[in-house]
Amino acid sequence: MIDRRALIAGLSAALIAPRRASAQTLSDAAGRTVPVPAKVSRVFPAGPPAAILLYTLAPDLLIGWPRANRPEECAYMLPEICTRPEVGRITGRGNTANLETVLALKPDLILDVGSTSATFVSLADRVQEQTGIPYALLDGRFAGIARTYRSLGELIGRPEDAEKLARYTEDTLKTILSRVEPIAASERPRVYYARGPRGLATGLGGSINVETIELIGRNVAGETPGGLANVSIEQILVWNPDVIVTIDQEFAATVRNDPSWASVKAVRENRVHLSPKMPFGWVDFPPSVNRLIGLWWLAKILYPERFPEDLRALTQDFYSRFYHVAPTAAQIDHVLAGRD
Amino acid sequence: MSKPRSAVPGFAIAIAVLIAGLLLALTVGRYPVGLGELMSVLYAKVTGHVADVSPAVESVILQVRGPRVMAAMLVGAALAVAGTAFQGLFRNPLVSPDILGASSGAALGAVLGIYLSLGVFAIQTIAFLGGLIAVGVVYVIGASVRSRDPILVLVLTGVVVGSLFGAGVGLVKYLADPYNQLPAMTFWLLGSLSATGVRDLLPLFGPVAAGAAVLVALRWRMNVMSLPEEEARALGVATGPLRIAIVAAATLVTSASVATAGIIGWVGLVVPHLARSLVGPDFARLLPAAAILGGGYLLLIDTLARTMAQVEIPLGILTAVIGTPFFIWLLTSVQKNWS
Amino acid sequence: MILEGRQLTIGYQDRVVGAGLNVKLENGEVLALLGPNGGGKTTLLKTLLGLLSPKAGEVRLDGAALASRTVRERARLIAYVPQTHIATFAFSVEAVVLMGRTAHGDLFARPTSQDRRVAATMLDRLGIAQLAQRPYTMISGGERQLVLLARALAQEPQFIVLDEPTANLDFGNQGKVMREIRALASSGLGVLFTTHDPNHALRAADRAYLLRDGERLAEGPVKQILTRERLEALYGASVQMITDAAGTAFIPG
Repeated sequence: MIDRRALIAGLSAALIAPRRASAQTLSDAAGRTVPVPAKVSRVFPAGPPAAILLYTLAPDLLIGWPRANRPEECAYMLPEICTRPEVGRITGRGNTANLETVLALKPDLILDVGSTSATFVSLADRVQEQTGIPYALLDGRFAGIARTYRSLGELIGRPEDAEKLARYTEDTLKTILSRVEPIAASERPRVYYARGPRGLATGLGGSINVETIELIGRNVAGETPGGLANVSIEQILVWNPDVIVTIDQEFAATVRNDPSWASVKAVRENRVHLSPKMPFGWVDFPPSVNRLIGLWWLAKILYPERFPEDLRALTQDFYSRFYHVAPTAAQIDHVLAGRD
Repeated sequence: MSKPRSAVPGFAIAIAVLIAGLLLALTVGRYPVGLGELMSVLYAKVTGHVADVSPAVESVILQVRGPRVMAAMLVGAALAVAGTAFQGLFRNPLVSPDILGASSGAALGAVLGIYLSLGVFAIQTIAFLGGLIAVGVVYVIGASVRSRDPILVLVLTGVVVGSLFGAGVGLVKYLADPYNQLPAMTFWLLGSLSATGVRDLLPLFGPVAAGAAVLVALRWRMNVMSLPEEEARALGVATGPLRIAIVAAATLVTSASVATAGIIGWVGLVVPHLARSLVGPDFARLLPAAAILGGGYLLLIDTLARTMAQVEIPLGILTAVIGTPFFIWLLTSVQKNWS
Repeated sequence: MILEGRQLTIGYQDRVVGAGLNVKLENGEVLALLGPNGGGKTTLLKTLLGLLSPKAGEVRLDGAALASRTVRERARLIAYVPQTHIATFAFSVEAVVLMGRTAHGDLFARPTSQDRRVAATMLDRLGIAQLAQRPYTMISGGERQLVLLARALAQEPQFIVLDEPTANLDFGNQGKVMREIRALASSGLGVLFTTHDPNHALRAADRAYLLRDGERLAEGPVKQILTRERLEALYGASVQMITDAAGTAFIPG
């Protein structure tokens, strides 16, 4: 279903705008051939994971954000970039970007990071056809971050910067996984990932929400494959997790006093952990490179003896390389406390 | 003159369903609890002694399953009674408690609460108020349109306002954060009792008891209210005020139910018919029978919802999946109890 | 006791159906209201019952304005037998008749044994006691009309108002209902009924009231008022009158 107005707008844009000499092409993560623009100065992020990835590698190229950032988040990002306008999203759940608006912003490239399934491939093809703008679909899975960085670096002409971030990612993953590898599956802590104010929504086996948890621990809800699901407290009592990880402040605050949760092992042993979330969540969403620092955090929670590193120093390092800021000690405290 | 057909067998069946549902619900669940353990915990609670079961089991029975079972009975009874009252008031056996928009209003309240990241109690309160406000709006608009058929006007207004609030829900869902808020809204809208704890029972019990008491007290008048407007008035019934009272009471119980458990359809439609086939159409018997049967019905369905799989199956889906074929069966086989 | 309408202007929100109408009914007598369709018979009926407010003038019952009495008080004095009854739920005949006792109890009242006795008496009186436990929806049209009549009688009123009581009845039942109406008047009730059939008026009523286009054409004792000329003027069509030793009858000409 091609919107006629968008098509006409796209054709006129193609006629009016100077033609690009797209000498090169790239094969994106979905196997699509994407023309590489000669010069890239403006990139449109199709969704939050793309926006974050782009911000970490080349913040100046970011046209805007799918959702406007909150002022509290901007304390941990480059202020001029953080306040760039809200431009809507083209992919994921809920399409709010008007294609005409996208064209009016004159991007050289549309970047999408996430699922490479058929739905998103056809979306990418359609948008590229309608707008004439190269649309690159890169892999959003946690294990593929390094490769994604390298592809992005090629696309926007910053291969060296991309290589640095890719290296860091690979090194981190290698370090953490190598220490976890020797631990037998049955020895790994059983984690319940609690979402929602009552903590009764969780990610099932293989869902993107629990990717990092399932990488180094065991997801109690992992037997059933799927996405998000609701469970009952009874089921949680049966699972009796060793550790609870949550992103919800209200749940973290009330669970210790809630009599129905009292007999859960994680609650009894005081192993309920509230994930940091500034400026982007450390565990779940958006599912992008922001979870890398979260992996250190998770590793220290699950295997404190094997990960003696100072989390504050790691945080400082990560935030300066990826978010281009140098947080103060007080700010790091605030972040680690999981507060807004 | 021959005696009216006795309602005793019908009531006996309804009570049996309730008791069976109760026993099943308390003993069955994801967490294994033996009948003996159940009995000793209940006995201990009643007598004040200490039960010799593990604290986890005691917690499951008193904090988790117990409150959920109570909530299921209350919500089931509430929806059944509201449905019965509305079927009489609107003179139509195909009416459900949602007809005046209470569910849409509560839904809008709830998704707004989730969108604004409010606490659980606040979300429930806004949902409850949303239901009341929606019906209030319908009533005010409906009453200001002067017509010979006030019921038809109410129904049409209810459809329109319900639609409007539904569009509001759609809008809020559209604006919501798709990673966190939207799934929460979706789960809520599909209906579930999974999060019920002891502290949820009082806000549910209060309005349900109050509204149900009013409806049960008025059940004799409901027979007359089910007659055409002019006949009812000629028989000496002040239809206007009585209509307000019935709508208010039914809305109170419906809003409280939806605020606690999300949108659960089909109970208010199917159970009155089941009850009618057991005890006949006289509202004097129908209303209490529907309340008992409704409690048992939802109890059985909720037990299914929480035991069939590791994950919760939303109640709204189960009631539709079970209710629809049930309703078709009722339509084809038990017609004699309608006109 | 007298039920009367004085200088009534009757109608609905958007239109006036009749004006300057005076009607009077005493208990013990039967008044027949005749007229063509759309002439205002039903509107007048409902205004006298208090189901419609008069746009001008007033309805008085037993010396007081009808509007000054509560709906409940009115129901104990006047009863209504509608032409058709759309039954949504299959109440038993006994339950239907019991609803006639509503005005004798308060808001939360359940039927008392007295109520049941009255209901049983009325069913007996109309010869339909054997139908008591049958669903209302499963009896014949004529029986249903009698049940509605029994319900009205259960109100123990002073006046009964019937809207086209024979409209849906077979020939045999028509006579039965008409005889019943006469019997009601003999027992002291005031009866007002509308009809399309002048013969019924002739047989069962004491007085007739002719209403056309919201105007009273004539009113008075039936034998005087029901003449061929008047009926032709009323219906705007030709009418034949047949008289013999047994009595008079009218047929459309």
